[in-house]
Amino acid sequence: MMRLRARPIENESPDRWEAQLRKGALEMAALASLWRGRLYGLEIIRFLEQHSRLVLAEGTIYPILNRLKAEGMLTSDWVEAEAGHPRKYYALTEPGRTRLRQMAEAWANFAGGLSQLLEPVLYPQAAEQSSTRDTEKKELSR
Amino acid sequence: MTETIQIDTYLSSLRTHLGPMTLGERDEIVREISSHIRDSAEQSGGNVETILARLGSAEELAAQYRDGVLIRQASRSISPVKLMRGALRLATKGVSGVIVFFVGMFGYIIGGGCVLSGLLKGVFPAHTGTWFQDGRMIASGTQLYIPPSPAHEVLGMWYIPLMLTVGSLTLLATTFVIRTSLRISQRWQAKLSRGA
Repeated sequence: MMRLRARPIENESPDRWEAQLRKGALEMAALASLWRGRLYGLEIIRFLEQHSRLVLAEGTIYPILNRLKAEGMLTSDWVEAEAGHPRKYYALTEPGRTRLRQMAEAWANFAGGLSQLLEPVLYPQAAEQSSTRDTEKKELSR
Repeated sequence: MTETIQIDTYLSSLRTHLGPMTLGERDEIVREISSHIRDSAEQSGGNVETILARLGSAEELAAQYRDGVLIRQASRSISPVKLMRGALRLATKGVSGVIVFFVGMFGYIIGGGCVLSGLLKGVFPAHTGTWFQDGRMIASGTQLYIPPSPAHEVLGMWYIPLMLTVGSLTLLATTFVIRTSLRISQRWQAKLSRGA
């Protein structure tokens, strides 16, 4: 029998939710790391470690790069490195740049809206003060 | 020496678990992961065990590569096996996938059955056909015992082209439905990941 009923999400801990959130942002982050030029896998991982707090299991990034390449968002080239073995460098294609721009805009709108919504949750004192001020204003206007 | 063995074991396990991908794709992935391990070892000087642990198990890594590839390959294929594998993968993602899987299975069984029945008419002409009695259909297909009179077979040798046509059209329609569903699911996923 198919189970269509929603399961109670007992094991949906905040940690797991955060992991899902990070995973979802990783595709955009991978594209963003290539905005200024080509990089190889490990450089992308190090770049993300330095510039974002998207700490990840290192393996996660490679299947994402593989999929983005299959979708035509990235190109790749094997380059013989000084290290003595070739490295696979990735670069953004034009559709990849366009998609990243769209993602960045959507992300900025989304994050902006949520930040406003979450302000009272994150800064309860400030919110309380402002609501007291609002009440005082209303009373004065009467 | 032990480290080399560890790396080789990891890479060969990865290659094995990449199963449904093409040989070229598997080579490319193993080459890239191998390059990652060498670079990590050189840059961080860390031991191989830590580097492999940070990559995640070979099985998990392969599963991440396989997910999506199967659906992508299947949506470009006309092979019922590949399409059904793609549909099965889709079925793990939600109820609509389960429906696509069952529609596919049903379509292939009906279509394949019609084609087979048409061919069997050539081999067992007397035992294969569509029988009517008192204006009602009482049997169709290949029968072990021919329905006795007054039941009569109505199609004769027309049974062959009719069944082959109906069967082929059903198979084509099934292929079309699964491929379209797989493509829609890909577009839907791409849209989701674009945040649209």
